[in-house]
Amino acid sequence: MASSSSSGLTFKLHPLVIVNISDHYTRVKSQLNPPPLTSTSATVNGVENQQQAPRVYGCVIGVQRGRTVEIFNSFELLYDPSTHSLDRPFLKKKQELYKKVFPHFYILGWYSTGSDAQESDMHIHRALMDINESPLYVLLNPAINPTQKDLPVTIYESELHVIDGIPQLIFVRSSYTIETVEAERISVDHVAHLKPSDGGSAATQLAAHLTGIHSAIKMLNSRIRVLHHYLVGMQKGDIPCENSLLRQVSSLLRRLPAIESEKFQDDFLMEYNDTLLITYLAMFTNCSSTMNELVDKFNTAYDRHSRRGGRTAFI
Amino acid sequence: MDIEQNQAELIDNFVKQASAQKGTALGSVILEATSHPSLFAFSEILAVPTVAELEGTENSVYLKVLQLFAHGTWSDYRSNCSSLPQLVPDQVLKLKQLTVLTLAETNKVLPYDELMMELDVMNVRELEDFLINECMYAGIVRGKLDQLRRCFEIQFAAGRDLRPGQLGSMIQTLSNWLGTSDNLLVSIQEKIKWADTMSELDKKHRKEVEARVEEVKKSVSVKKLQTVSRPKLSSEGSRISTLNLVE
Repeated sequence: MASSSSSGLTFKLHPLVIVNISDHYTRVKSQLNPPPLTSTSATVNGVENQQQAPRVYGCVIGVQRGRTVEIFNSFELLYDPSTHSLDRPFLKKKQELYKKVFPHFYILGWYSTGSDAQESDMHIHRALMDINESPLYVLLNPAINPTQKDLPVTIYESELHVIDGIPQLIFVRSSYTIETVEAERISVDHVAHLKPSDGGSAATQLAAHLTGIHSAIKMLNSRIRVLHHYLVGMQKGDIPCENSLLRQVSSLLRRLPAIESEKFQDDFLMEYNDTLLITYLAMFTNCSSTMNELVDKFNTAYDRHSRRGGRTAFI
Repeated sequence: MDIEQNQAELIDNFVKQASAQKGTALGSVILEATSHPSLFAFSEILAVPTVAELEGTENSVYLKVLQLFAHGTWSDYRSNCSSLPQLVPDQVLKLKQLTVLTLAETNKVLPYDELMMELDVMNVRELEDFLINECMYAGIVRGKLDQLRRCFEIQFAAGRDLRPGQLGSMIQTLSNWLGTSDNLLVSIQEKIKWADTMSELDKKHRKEVEARVEEVKKSVSVKKLQTVSRPKLSSEGSRISTLNLVE
C-alpha cells in the first residue's frame, strides 16, 4: 500500500506531537490493563492480548506555508466503533477551542497507533477530507524495537492511483524531518538524560554520566577520523583537491587548542583542589561521627558492668 | 562556513572569466578579482591553466600579484614593491585583511603592537576601526578586542589558500587530535570500570559484615538459653559492641 510520495510537500514534525500520541496511547493502555488474572485458558489470554494493544485516535494541527507543512500539536478524539468513524461534534468543538488559542493552526490530518496502515483507516481518512482536502495520516508504532534506529512514526498521504483500471485512494509514505522549538529541545534533552531514579549508588550515577561523555567524544572522534582520512587521500592524490574544503579545515584546526592560557590552568587546578579538599573533609566528618557512635555503644555496654564491678566508664 | 558559500559563486564566475581570456586581458580579470570585497580565495583562479601560462611572460607580474594575494602579506608587498605593480586602494584593503588572517594562523592572541606594525597603522583607534569594520563585519574573523591588555583574542578566522606544505602539517595536527581523543576515550572507559569495581567491592564488604552480624545474633540467641538472669537486650548489645570493637 505504501510507496513513496510524489506530492513534493516537505513535512516538519514537532516532538510535542510524538509525545502527545505516545502519552495518549500509554494512558489508554494502562487504564485498560485489567488486574493480573489467574485464568489459564488460552482464549482468555488471546482476548487479553488484543486488549493490550488498543488503538487511539486523534487530530493533528499545524500550519501549511507553501510547500512546507509543519505539524505543531495534536489532540485526542473519540472513535465510534459502531459507525467506524470519529466523533464529529466533539471534533468541531475541539477545533473551535483550539482556533481561539492558536488562530493560525489548521487541522492537517489525524493520527493513530498500530504497526501498519489498514484498510479501515481509509474510511476515516475520507471522512476528514471535508475539513482538509488532503489530510495527513500520522502512524505511531508502539511496539518497542531495541534494534530500530529511527523513530517509529510514519506520515502517510493519500493519492489517487489507478489500480486495475479503477482509480483508488491509497496511502503513500512520505518522509519528514523533526523540527524543534527551544522549549521542546529542553524537555527532550531532559528526558534523554534520565538517571536511575532510585538514586542508585554514587557509582552507578558516575558510570551513567561518564558513559554519556564517552559516547559524545566517540562521535567527535569518528568525525575527525573521516576528515583525517579525506586529507590523507588528498595528499596521496587519490582525491582531487578541493580548496574550499581545505580552507575550512585549516580554519577549524586553527581553533585548537581551545584553551591553553596559564590563567585557565590556575583556575582549573584551584577548582580541582577545592573538590578534593571537600571530599576529604566529608570523609573526616563521616569517620569522626562513626567513632563517636562506637564510643557511645561501648559506654552503654560497659556501663552496666561498671555499676556492678566498680570499674569506671571508658571515657 | 558561510564565507565559503558566499565565495563559491564568485569563484566560479572568475574561473570562467579567467579560462575564457588570455595574456593581457587576464590582467584586468585578476585586478577585478583581487579588489572584489567578498572574495578571499584565490587558489582556484591560480589553478586555471591560462593563468599559469602567464609565468615567464611579460605579464608575469599579474601572476605574481595573484600569488601575493593567495599566500602573501602586506609586509611581503612592501619589501617587493619594486617588482610588483601599484595596487589600487581596494586591493590594499584586501591585502591587509588577508594579512590579519595570516597572523591569526600562528597565534590566537595578537598583541596590538604586532598588528600595528604588520598593517602599517599608527594608532590604536585606527587599528580597532579597521579590525571591527573590515574584518569582523566582513565575517572573516570573530573574536574579542581587549583594550586594557592591548591584544586581540581570535575565536574564529576564515581559512586562507593553502601553501603546498601546509597540507602535511594539517594532517599532522589532525592525527594528534585523533590520538588525544583516543587516549581520552580509553581513560574514560577505565574510570567507568573502576567505578563499577569499587561499587562491587563495597557491596561485597557490606554483605560480609551483615552475614557476620547474623551469625553472631544466632549464636547469642543460642547462648541466651543458658543465661537466664540477664535481660536479652544488654547481652546482645554487648556481644554486638564487642564485635564492632574487634572490627
